[in-house]
Amino acid sequence: MAHAFRRRPDGSLACRLDGEEKAIITQVAQETADLIRADLGIDADPDVLRHAADSDDPLRRLEAEFAGRDAREPADSAVKRLFPAASDDPNAAAEFRRLGQQDLADGKLADLQRVMKILDAAGAGHSEVVLDDEEALAMLRALNDVRIVLADRLDLQRDGDFDTVRMLQQIGERVEEAGEKEDDQVGSDIVIAVYELLSWLQESLLRALD
Amino acid sequence: MPVELRRAEPATGSLSDPSGSVQVRVETDGPWRTVVWNDPVNLMSYVVFVFRRHFGYSRLIAEQLMMQVHDEGRAVVSHGSRERVETDVQAMQSFGLRATLEKAGED
Repeated sequence: MAHAFRRRPDGSLACRLDGEEKAIITQVAQETADLIRADLGIDADPDVLRHAADSDDPLRRLEAEFAGRDAREPADSAVKRLFPAASDDPNAAAEFRRLGQQDLADGKLADLQRVMKILDAAGAGHSEVVLDDEEALAMLRALNDVRIVLADRLDLQRDGDFDTVRMLQQIGERVEEAGEKEDDQVGSDIVIAVYELLSWLQESLLRALD
Repeated sequence: MPVELRRAEPATGSLSDPSGSVQVRVETDGPWRTVVWNDPVNLMSYVVFVFRRHFGYSRLIAEQLMMQVHDEGRAVVSHGSRERVETDVQAMQSFGLRATLEKAGED
């Protein structure tokens, strides 16, 4: 069972998570990072591009240059939400992507990576997770990005949609008490539970920072 | 933003910023502005945190802007040169807020 974040006397921020909670958060963080990379066509290993840029082969160098310059328009609905158009004007939006999308993606991927590292370092069982202020910032942003992806999968579009989803889930549970659950329903129950855990954790960290 | 988690007790934070500095950088005018849009995911407390952290706004200003986003669907959170507004939009997006830039006077 998770315990909320609190500020410790030494200034660090700590919460307690059990092994399963850490594993789940790590998994959804990894999935979010994989989704961003796949949708935007970002190589998992940035060194590959860097090597290509330093290559003796002029064609490879040219490829690397284009790969670096190309800010692919997101196709996945959740990635669209993480990398939204910055303007109504399509030209201005494309220009903004060209200049900033790679940095934005790098930042999001670094935050997700950092959170996975922190959770990994905290060990497999029930344990304390300790953050300094910079790590807390990475945690807030990463939790938020993962919640955005989960919300997209739950089709949350308007204020109050999550309450509706939860209400439908409870009604579904009552109706299905006797019978077996559909696989789809089990899947979305898990997404709802993870979304609630991440929301709670993010809110608790914000309060501890306040 | 709309998602306000159940609170055990009423909001504890006071509305006034203890630092007292009304750093209303809701900036000197410029021809561009940063707009933040409502969405059903971001926690109210997170949006206030982001506005305070990035713009240095007092708690009061940050809460007013957050409520404006929540109630009206959008709020102008900074003005300035195009370059500056681009930086602000990029920062808001890095926090996962839905932000756009627009030229002042266009609606």
